Amino acid sequence: MVDLITIAVALLGASSLLLPLLQLYNGRNWNLSGYILAAVLGAAILLVAVFTLNPTPVPWFGSLLSPDQLGGVFALVTLGVTLAVVVASLDFQRTSFNPVYYSLLSFTALGMLLLSYSTDLLMLFVAWELMSLPTYVLAGFDKRTQSNEAAVKYAVIGAMSSAIILYAISLSYGLTGSTQISAVAQWYFSHPASPLGGVAALLFVAGFGFKMSIVPFHMWIPDAYEGAPTPISTLLAAATKKAGFIAAIRVLLAVTTLYVVTRSPLFTMANVFAVLALLTMTVGNVSALTQKSMTRLLAYSSIAQAGYILIGFVAFTADPTSSAASLGLTGSIFHIINHAIMKGAAFLCAGLVLMQLKRADLGAYNGLARRMPITAFTMTIALLGLAGVPPLNGFWSKLLLFLSVSSPQFGWLAVAGILNSAFSLGYYAWIIKRIYIDEGESTERVKEPKWFVIVFAVLVGLMIGIGLFPQQAINFASGAVPNVLG
Amino acid sequence: MSFVLSLLVFLPLLASPLVYLLTRMNKRWGVYACLGLAAVVLGVATYISWQVIANPPAPGQYLLQEQYSWISFKSFGLDYFLGTDGLSSPLIFVSALLTLLAILGSRKLIDKHEPEYYALIFLFEGAIMGVFTSLNLILFYIFWEVVLIPMFFFIGVWGGPRRKYAAMKFILFTYAGSTIMLLGFLYVYLGMMPVPSFDIPSLAGHIPIGLQYLPLLASFIGFAVKLPLVPFHTWLPDAHVEAPSPISVLLAGVLLKMGGYGFLRISIGLFPKASVQYAWAFLAIGLFSMFYGAVAAVLQKDLKKMIAFTSINHMGFVLFGAYATLVSGNLLGIQGAILQMFTHALAVGSLFMLSGYIQHQAGTREIPSLKGLGLTMPRTAAILVLASGAAMGLPPFASFLAEFMVIAAGISAYTITAVSILVPVITAGYFLWMIKRTVLSLPEGTEVHDMDLGDLASFAVYLIPLVVLIVASYLILTPALPVAQFLRGLA
Repeated sequence: MVDLITIAVALLGASSLLLPLLQLYNGRNWNLSGYILAAVLGAAILLVAVFTLNPTPVPWFGSLLSPDQLGGVFALVTLGVTLAVVVASLDFQRTSFNPVYYSLLSFTALGMLLLSYSTDLLMLFVAWELMSLPTYVLAGFDKRTQSNEAAVKYAVIGAMSSAIILYAISLSYGLTGSTQISAVAQWYFSHPASPLGGVAALLFVAGFGFKMSIVPFHMWIPDAYEGAPTPISTLLAAATKKAGFIAAIRVLLAVTTLYVVTRSPLFTMANVFAVLALLTMTVGNVSALTQKSMTRLLAYSSIAQAGYILIGFVAFTADPTSSAASLGLTGSIFHIINHAIMKGAAFLCAGLVLMQLKRADLGAYNGLARRMPITAFTMTIALLGLAGVPPLNGFWSKLLLFLSVSSPQFGWLAVAGILNSAFSLGYYAWIIKRIYIDEGESTERVKEPKWFVIVFAVLVGLMIGIGLFPQQAINFASGAVPNVLG
Repeated sequence: MSFVLSLLVFLPLLASPLVYLLTRMNKRWGVYACLGLAAVVLGVATYISWQVIANPPAPGQYLLQEQYSWISFKSFGLDYFLGTDGLSSPLIFVSALLTLLAILGSRKLIDKHEPEYYALIFLFEGAIMGVFTSLNLILFYIFWEVVLIPMFFFIGVWGGPRRKYAAMKFILFTYAGSTIMLLGFLYVYLGMMPVPSFDIPSLAGHIPIGLQYLPLLASFIGFAVKLPLVPFHTWLPDAHVEAPSPISVLLAGVLLKMGGYGFLRISIGLFPKASVQYAWAFLAIGLFSMFYGAVAAVLQKDLKKMIAFTSINHMGFVLFGAYATLVSGNLLGIQGAILQMFTHALAVGSLFMLSGYIQHQAGTREIPSLKGLGLTMPRTAAILVLASGAAMGLPPFASFLAEFMVIAAGISAYTITAVSILVPVITAGYFLWMIKRTVLSLPEGTEVHDMDLGDLASFAVYLIPLVVLIVASYLILTPALPVAQFLRGLA
């Protein structure tokens, strides 16, 4: 059965390498390469899904990769988002998205697939770079000046974060003599207060934190999301960010669980995560309130959501054997899945509005319900989901997260999370007001391309469906939790 | 296991997309379909109310229960759990009735985006039925939040000139309140470890007193915004004035009842010991709301705004009656509160609908500019006088009985609260003054533009039950008795 994922990897590898050749062969129909990649991604998702539903515990590629459910969840989420991005790109800019664009997307997808299953620090780093490098190019693919500036900023920050991760890997190798995550974790368990180990752990937090968009490593996010072509912003917010989280779950949680950074009882990893979570959600939500452009607003909202996800890390690192820990990590993984769906939908809507109305400021959304009813509806559901309004999917994952930290020690974090969540409705409701209540400049219908409509329908179905029947999704997410500590 | 309550909740929810499509295809038939579906829901609601009247459940028991496991994960479990008793069944019935009447009234008053409008009405109806039948706190919270969304759009899209401001104010106030309420629920859930539960019947009477104070405060804020109590009320005049009249009917008749229901079912039902300790504070707040609403109503020039403040005054009675029973043990308070919710829904509902007709026909709602309605709009004026009588608490309308019971219970709690008798006096005063200025004055023109007989008949549906109830008050008071006994027993 392991062959299924091998086939998926091979398919993506082949499409990455062969797609650019189409540019030589057929200079007119760029969309052909998009269709091919969509088919390849569809096949890969099917293969991963079949494997994840019928898992067979076989070691795979030695000890570099482990085909467990945790990897399956993330592979499905990231590949699914990539597929939505490819499908949306088909309509987005027919002229400028050539086969090289799709080939780069394919490389990123391959990187994320491998990253999801990585259980060795070196493999993880290689997959990380395979995922990141193409996105630096993709962020600047649209040859406008702003796009290029954002791409350069993103590339520099990305390179820096890679360097930090690499340094952390080298430190932990020096300490533990292994790059195998489980072996590294073993060492950390037996040396709970090594200062150098603490430095390595914090470096991991910083390195992955850039991708996860944790405050204070978030500064590049709004610029990059705003400057990049919107399908690529979707990819960054809904897929590569999730890759940051899988790396953090695999490495950080294994390494830092129960780990005390110094001998002071205050400075534990759980407290570090708690402070980061509080900062991340608060800074994200407060900054989102003042934004004038939709992509920047969604970028800050995405930062805030990363803060909610971190709440589960707090519960897990505080006491990994408790039921609150598995509740929290399930909540985190569930919220990651939900966030990919909701933020993917919101960004695709923003992209479609940008493409059809040539505007990204919030004023473009006035009276959108008359002009683009399907987009308007999808956007509304996505925003309500992000705010955590029941019975949409975002409500359930937030509920699990808040319940997981309601011990006396971290109860304040649950309260802060709920209040943040309420606060966030402030700016989401403001957009919904613009869409449905304010009058726009015109009421003329604007075309909504069929591929977008199909993607929107699937995403809205998922948001409402998971919201009404969350049990299956919770089971799916919780099935991945035992894989964390190996 | 019965499935009637699920039918009550899901029939409107499923009807929502259906009427959207129908009304898009053909407006006329769409509205007929809406009326038909609302009548079916009313039929189901009547059946449920009849069941409750015929076999009132014993104190602490619920009728027509449905319970299924919805989510279960480790220690976290959540049931889909519905049930009804003498507290919820009058509200279910009046919600179904008012929805039907609101649709009836919307035919003339709503002239844009009809498909969305009717779809949202059914979404609202389904959610409200969910609120009144949920016996699980999280399920209750979910329906509670779903109610907000259609109301936000009703005010924002179909509202008056300041609709945008009113809609945002409405959603931010009520969402903030309900978030704090959710915090309270989670606090209870976690405090009940190692056997946590969200089920109201298994929590009632089993929450240790130390665990009651904070959730009582949290739920108080959530419900006080909805009821609304002064000083959480400022969203209400804006929302009422801007909302189209059929929606004002639902807002005053149904949405405010969520607050009163929440106080009885959750604030008192789950946190009785803490409630008793602070009952004096709740009584004071209730009394203050009653006076504030009445006095503020005197000052209003806009007919609709005046009725809106009347609502604040009348809903203050609900809180006052509920807590008067806790202090004195006099069951009249809770029974009166339940009756007051029912009568207020119909009396104020008819007034709001009427203000919509008056604006539609006369072009204004300003009391000083409405002159001589008695001559130019005789039917409207007659209904206005009758509906005002119902709102004042004038016999033979059952609102008299409700207010009488509440004030009596208040006096048996603290004699000083006898001053509350002044509230109906002030209310009567400003209603009579309004009638003097609008109905009994001389008209400026002579043209007659009155409502037709069909509309007149629809107002009979609002007012006749109020007259019937003063004779047959047992229909509400008998099933309400075990509820009152149960709540008093807890305290």
